[in-house]
Amino acid sequence: MYSIGIDVGGTFTDFFCFDHSDQKTFVYKTASTPDDPSKAVCAGLEALLTKYSIKATDVSTIFHGTTVGTNSILEGKGAKVGLITNSGFRDILHIGRHQRPQHYSIGQEIPWQNRALIERKFRKTVNCRLDSSGNEITPLDEKSILAHLEFFEENNVNSVLIAFLFSYRNNAHERRVSELVRDQMPNAFVTTSSSVSPQFREFERFTTGAVAAFIGPKVTGYIDNLSLTLKKICQNAELRIMTSSGGLATPEMIMRHPELTLLSGLVAGANAGLWLASKKKMKNLITLDIGGTSADISIINNGQLNEVSSRNASISGYPVQLPMIDIHTIGAGGGSIARVDAGGGFKVGPESAGASPGPACYNLGGSKPTVTDANLVLGRLLGDRILDGRMTLDSQIAETSLKEVSSTLGSNINQTALGTISVLNNNMASAIRSRTIQKGIDPRDFSLCAFGGGGPLQAVGVAEILGINEVIVPQAPGIMCAFGLLISRVEYHSVKTLLMTKTQFNLSTLNETLSEMKSYLTSIFERDKADTKLICFEAFTDLRYVGQGYELKVPLNSDVLKLEDLEQVWDAFHKQHKQEYGHNFLSADIEMVSVKLKAQIKKENSSDEFSFENSIDETVSRLNLPNTKVEFSIDGKPQSFETEIIDRKTLTGGTQKAGPNVIYQEDSTTVVPPGWTMSVDDDLTLRLRKLDNNNE
Amino acid sequence: MNDKKIDPFLASVIHGALEDIALEMGQKLMRMSYSSIIRESEDFGTALTDQTGRQLCECTMSTPLQSGPIPGYVMGVLEELKGRGDAVKPGDIFMHNDPYNGASHGPDVGFLVPVFSNNDLVGFSVTTAHHLDVGALTPGSCGIVDAVDAYAEGLQFKAVRVYENNKKVEPVWQILRSNIRMPDLVVGDMEAQVSAARIGAERFNDLIQKYGLETITAAYENLLDYSETLMRKAINEVPDGTYYAETFIDGFLDSEDENLKDIKIAASINVTGSNLTVDLEGTSKQIDNKPINMPFVGTVDCAIWLTLRSILLDSNEFGSIPQNSGLTRPIDITAPLGSLANPIFPAPVIARFCPGNAVADTVMKAMSQAVPEKVSAGIGNLRVVAFSGGRADSQWVHMEIMEGSYGGRYGQDGMDAVDTLYANTRNNPIEDIESHLPLRVLKYELREADAGHGKWRGGLGTVRLFEFLDDGAISIEGDGHKYEPWGFDGGASGSTAEINLVEQSNNKSSLPSKIPYKPIPVGTKIEVLGPNGGGYGSKSERDPELIKSDLENEIITEKIAKDEYNMIL
Repeated sequence: MYSIGIDVGGTFTDFFCFDHSDQKTFVYKTASTPDDPSKAVCAGLEALLTKYSIKATDVSTIFHGTTVGTNSILEGKGAKVGLITNSGFRDILHIGRHQRPQHYSIGQEIPWQNRALIERKFRKTVNCRLDSSGNEITPLDEKSILAHLEFFEENNVNSVLIAFLFSYRNNAHERRVSELVRDQMPNAFVTTSSSVSPQFREFERFTTGAVAAFIGPKVTGYIDNLSLTLKKICQNAELRIMTSSGGLATPEMIMRHPELTLLSGLVAGANAGLWLASKKKMKNLITLDIGGTSADISIINNGQLNEVSSRNASISGYPVQLPMIDIHTIGAGGGSIARVDAGGGFKVGPESAGASPGPACYNLGGSKPTVTDANLVLGRLLGDRILDGRMTLDSQIAETSLKEVSSTLGSNINQTALGTISVLNNNMASAIRSRTIQKGIDPRDFSLCAFGGGGPLQAVGVAEILGINEVIVPQAPGIMCAFGLLISRVEYHSVKTLLMTKTQFNLSTLNETLSEMKSYLTSIFERDKADTKLICFEAFTDLRYVGQGYELKVPLNSDVLKLEDLEQVWDAFHKQHKQEYGHNFLSADIEMVSVKLKAQIKKENSSDEFSFENSIDETVSRLNLPNTKVEFSIDGKPQSFETEIIDRKTLTGGTQKAGPNVIYQEDSTTVVPPGWTMSVDDDLTLRLRKLDNNNE
Repeated sequence: MNDKKIDPFLASVIHGALEDIALEMGQKLMRMSYSSIIRESEDFGTALTDQTGRQLCECTMSTPLQSGPIPGYVMGVLEELKGRGDAVKPGDIFMHNDPYNGASHGPDVGFLVPVFSNNDLVGFSVTTAHHLDVGALTPGSCGIVDAVDAYAEGLQFKAVRVYENNKKVEPVWQILRSNIRMPDLVVGDMEAQVSAARIGAERFNDLIQKYGLETITAAYENLLDYSETLMRKAINEVPDGTYYAETFIDGFLDSEDENLKDIKIAASINVTGSNLTVDLEGTSKQIDNKPINMPFVGTVDCAIWLTLRSILLDSNEFGSIPQNSGLTRPIDITAPLGSLANPIFPAPVIARFCPGNAVADTVMKAMSQAVPEKVSAGIGNLRVVAFSGGRADSQWVHMEIMEGSYGGRYGQDGMDAVDTLYANTRNNPIEDIESHLPLRVLKYELREADAGHGKWRGGLGTVRLFEFLDDGAISIEGDGHKYEPWGFDGGASGSTAEINLVEQSNNKSSLPSKIPYKPIPVGTKIEVLGPNGGGYGSKSERDPELIKSDLENEIITEKIAKDEYNMIL
């Protein structure tokens, strides 16, 4: 039996295939087809099966990360959405938190106004209102709804959101209206704010619902079509889709909750990092995935991937209230352009040469100097070994591209190239700082895990700036996202708002709520036909001191709590508050804002069996390349070093070498500067360590 | 301009490091503070300065009106010490809120930690924040529109040493605890400010250790020059000339004293090459016994800098530009002593929030003649409403800033329902308010039909309707009830703000824009109508598609489409 992970990136669609019977791995890459991503998925899948003579009927599961939903939001191309909401509150989605995104701008756009997910003419109100406990104070005026729906139909509205105040307390009105909408508009995508995110804060909840409705028809159409097409290729394969929280979901789940895919294409890499951390018994790891235009950063702290805090969760400027792994994306990659700006300052990125025309050295018409050009000039990239020689880079053109910036700044080419790398690395270090030091976490307690085409090239430079002494580079840095899909689990979340204070706490309400959530999640797994005996639950609660505006997430040690368990919860909150904020208020009242339940299906076979070991493509010959001169910066001055060039395929477990050296492989290059050493683990992971701290 | 050479790449790295320090200070302060005004509304500032108070960097999360004044706080402390024959020593930490010597107004308290290198003072790490109470005549720190002089506004701190030789000066902290309401909260916030400022000083010091003072100095001189260069380039593109504008604020509309009403704000801007001066000559005289005077340093200067920066170096076009003292070098500001914009001690200033934003609006009005494509027509000013109630053991106070709107802009309509110009806070969710307070929100929508008509119409304000579910009270510190946001280049003016009281009997009466503490019985409703911004350009030039879309979206009525825009329906 085979499992296949399929990750759709901007440039390539990657396949990672694992043979469960003899523990073998196969990888494959094909160019992405952005207009219809499923084309590359299907074509690539067929090519993979043919290339490795895999019987299509032997494929049991296909894991997929998709950017269809993400791109729909980013590009503003989605459904024509209608809203039904309470009288008096037509413009909650438009007013937001009344804060401008930019302090210093007259000309700025406000995403939720200029790029409204639901136009005002399609925001319709009906008489009905609940109080803050969920009691009805104005009954639902059903009669007024029909006219709205007729208006929607006349105007080709193909997606409808129903969003009422306090629906997280009582969703009866929202449910009743959604029944009416489904009856009247059977072809429309219909969702409610309470089903998307039953949490308080109306602007954020309504917006999350609007995002779901906006991407709904597109994502469900894509998944529907993909399931059908894949069934034709691999009749026995089950499809599983990556969600923003790092868990997988069935196509049926995504058809109901397309909003779960917002970060689908991004989180798999972080999951791969988490898997590697657990395999290497590392509790703290920072993942750095650098591609052509951007770098994705995630933090594994104490064995857990950091989640986005509810205050900061957003996509394309729209706030969303959903469980999401904190993937911090910045515009820094191989294509980032170096320039001198209007004030005479030296900048690298976020403008990027992208894949087309690409860096100047691609010789595809780009003339602006990029990070890749700088790396090539410095000798850190081997111009003729990219993609195992299927692509060549022109160092002469790279040098020319750097000339103008150099002469403006009065420096030489090497200084400018080193400066470009230094500023890029500092930008990335700054991004990591914003997720560590600024949140009370010391990055020096972490290792850095580098992947993507550019990660291993820059990682040591970034580590140096942060005081990190160890960098690890997995064996196949270019396909970590596809691999990450394969080792993920099906996972669903449920959340309920409680707003119950410690002094007026009702334990049975909490336990009843948890039990309702448990049966709800179990019912979803039943719908998926999963083995419900394999479900494991994890409960959490969001707490704050009474009067505070934002919460801390604290684990609940059980899903049926006793009084003494509750005491532990309050204690844990005080402790966590102190750790995060530097102080706590032991005598202050605590408010339990919401309770969250996560349910995962345990894998029957543990994920530890996976490895990259057999993924080497033996058809490519190994080369012995002579040493070359590579430029490094020593105390801020360029200095040339005789550097060993190593084919990664020749490295075996236990090998140790002192830097400087450059290790190349098909889709990535690892740079080990002077002052660092490289050693190879048995699973062929590279471990780079700073020399001063390497005297065990 | 400095002539010390520095490696441009290293300079770029050090600039990033300085910004990271200010950001870390902000994160720490936000996370450590006790009150929601800092943590939720983000009403705080953090920055590093050199030894003379020139700002090197600021926290991007902080409110412009908090970080902008920081140089003034440092210069104020230095001047105060000089006057006392005192000097900054290692191990000192200072507290300052003197609006007549650099501070923005009394509730915005600054804490300054000096940075030394080889026993020489080389800089300051500073935090500022809005405090809920500083011991004024009535509880709280907003809506105190009846303070008669500076002493009635609360405690005054003039370069008070709160730490000496790294030890707490206990008597000072005792005075704070016994003279401030809610001392746990407020003094806790102050301690958080000290901690955050200390972290900034520590990081600044590390940076000096790492690169050496000379390199750091050269790097920040380079950074200030960089910002100055950008501002000068921007000013250079403004046609030389003098541009004058005036606007009026309500003052106290219910007062019998004519001097307290219809108060003029005047601004005359001169542009010569890359220099720009702003003179507020013509602005009304100060009001001796009402707190709507504006500190010249800390409110007036910041309002002007922020507005000019938002117009000339709009971050939408220029990206994020380092905010530092280099940016303000090409700009000179003057205001006649004894005027509303440069009052003489002890004239009260605590309610300077709305007049300050009117100064910002007036500066934009003057600039509209010079750079019409970079401004908006008149903005709608804000109103701060404090709701309160409860009995001895369950007192509550809830502050809402009521949003305004922007005027029409070149190429696009005004922003709807936002804080304007120098303010940028967040509202409170309805579901949070109703879950915790005896208030019900009955309406929160755009205010239809009344926007300033024009080629690009003004943004819409909001309608908010609150009901008291128990006896309580309100205090209001607002403006914009009498004067409409100005239209530009043929655009119509917008509409004024209104606050109405709806009694249980449905009797509706209108309230003025400034109300000291006023009891409100259960069942009463407060209706708050936000101002709609002014129109930009002649309405006859409005794109018919936009008129149609406004009509479809029920932003305008058919009558307006017909009567104002001559649309044939």
